[in-house]
Amino acid sequence: MEENRSDLYHPLLLEYNRAPEHYEKRPEATVILEASNPLCGDKFVLYLDVENGVVVRASFYGHGCAVSKASASVLMRKIQGRPVAEIRLLLAVFLQLLCDTSAAAVAPDADFAIFLPVRQYQERLGCATLAWETLDQFFRKN
Amino acid sequence: MFDALQLRKEFPLLDGYPDLVFLDNAATTQKHQTVIEAERRFYTHQNANVHRAVYPLAAAATVAYERTREQLRAFLNARYAAEIIFTSGATAAINLVAHSFGPERLQAGDAVLVSAMEHHANLVPWQQLCRRRQARLLVAPLSPGGALDDLAFERCLTEHPVRLVALTQASNVLGTINPVRELAALAHRHGAAVLVDAAQSAAGMPIDVQDLDADFLVFSAHKMYGPTGLGVLYGKKHLLDEMPPWQTGGEMIREVSFGHTEFAPPPQKFEAGTPNLAGVAAFGAALDFLTALGRENIALHLRALRDYAAGELARIPGLTLIGRAPETTGILSFAVDGVHPHDLSTLLGEQQLCIRAGHHCAQPLLELLGLPGGTARASFAVYTAEPDVRRLAEGLLRALRILRAVP
Repeated sequence: MEENRSDLYHPLLLEYNRAPEHYEKRPEATVILEASNPLCGDKFVLYLDVENGVVVRASFYGHGCAVSKASASVLMRKIQGRPVAEIRLLLAVFLQLLCDTSAAAVAPDADFAIFLPVRQYQERLGCATLAWETLDQFFRKN
Repeated sequence: MFDALQLRKEFPLLDGYPDLVFLDNAATTQKHQTVIEAERRFYTHQNANVHRAVYPLAAAATVAYERTREQLRAFLNARYAAEIIFTSGATAAINLVAHSFGPERLQAGDAVLVSAMEHHANLVPWQQLCRRRQARLLVAPLSPGGALDDLAFERCLTEHPVRLVALTQASNVLGTINPVRELAALAHRHGAAVLVDAAQSAAGMPIDVQDLDADFLVFSAHKMYGPTGLGVLYGKKHLLDEMPPWQTGGEMIREVSFGHTEFAPPPQKFEAGTPNLAGVAAFGAALDFLTALGRENIALHLRALRDYAAGELARIPGLTLIGRAPETTGILSFAVDGVHPHDLSTLLGEQQLCIRAGHHCAQPLLELLGLPGGTARASFAVYTAEPDVRRLAEGLLRALRILRAVP
């Protein structure tokens, strides 16, 4: 480990944690999901407006560790303005990239790449996938 | 007094990883070389089942098993060796009391009193017992510094039909040491039986069950430099005599027919099945180790380390110590503004510093403290020394530099 650098905490990840995007409470949203992990106390609420099969607006709010907050922030940025069918594919790609360590560690873009080290930190996997798993579960049921 | 740095060499794991700073001793301690050797010796020279066979090897195994029981009697200053029951851990010991003693003791409308600082192991069994018996679970609150609010504790006893008090001797989150002797006397005056959870205190201070006047007292061997999968229930003889067995089967009977069983007296009545024989033998070595160091000395060492660590960590900007009770053991929880304890723990782990982050199996307490993400916790042992604490402080500063870096 270099001085002032960590394998898990990419500077971009820390930046998302410090200044998350799409970070606002929107109780008027059409879909409101709770992403929580009672084991570590992380708790976020996801606010989505879905119109004609498209997530027209996405935001989140809550508290959690740097990894869970950054990954929720990246998720919101990625899904806003996209059709649900595309989002479902995106969720599958991200979850497989992190969870399936036998798959190639090739990230499609820089936002995904900052979470690649999580593959070596299995105890933090749940942090990186918290918001993504929550959304995936929602789409599976609806 | 003993030299913690020298002691480190007697723990093979620590000796093998000289850069490792192990500060998660409230979860489990490392194992002393004599403990590991005793377990090996049991399997190499003494392994046979106890209490049944009459050949010499089995007799030797039984002698080793009962020797540890007698050691524990002396360790706790219990009146009789039969008051010492081997269980699989403190959790199993509490469950034994909750399932055997609890139902007979509690009627609908009665109450069980616990404190707000209990580990889940000393909370959930009582909560579930109360549900089964239509009894009420009362929770004695804490004062702002993290000590038990003894006036509120007494009020619970005065205002409710409390039949049983279950109280930790030392909090695994706050480090608070409760005045168990005084509180037990108070509980007894109100007709309540008392169970003491000594999981965090048994290796850290002298315990005299007669002086405490505890009806039950429980702890786990693995937090005492001993093996995992082994614990102890101490119970007053007259209570154990009256209690029905919790689990039934072999080793706990006097005579069995197809229609009827006559149970053996305590301690066998509560030790159904083949116990953790090698673990019990190894635990004997751990007790010898603790006794040789002297538990008064260990208590002083842990207290001094906690005070030193509190001073060192308090200088870190944004860091708040959680728990400032007047009497504490070697457990120090803290929170850092804007930083999640799991991030701290991962970054410290990368520097070979093992601390715990989260709610430490005391979720209601952390909610009460307004820390739903939990705390970071450093917990000390006989082999922890001041340089370990300085490494922790340096490691924290480095972790915070990383987490607070502005690109």
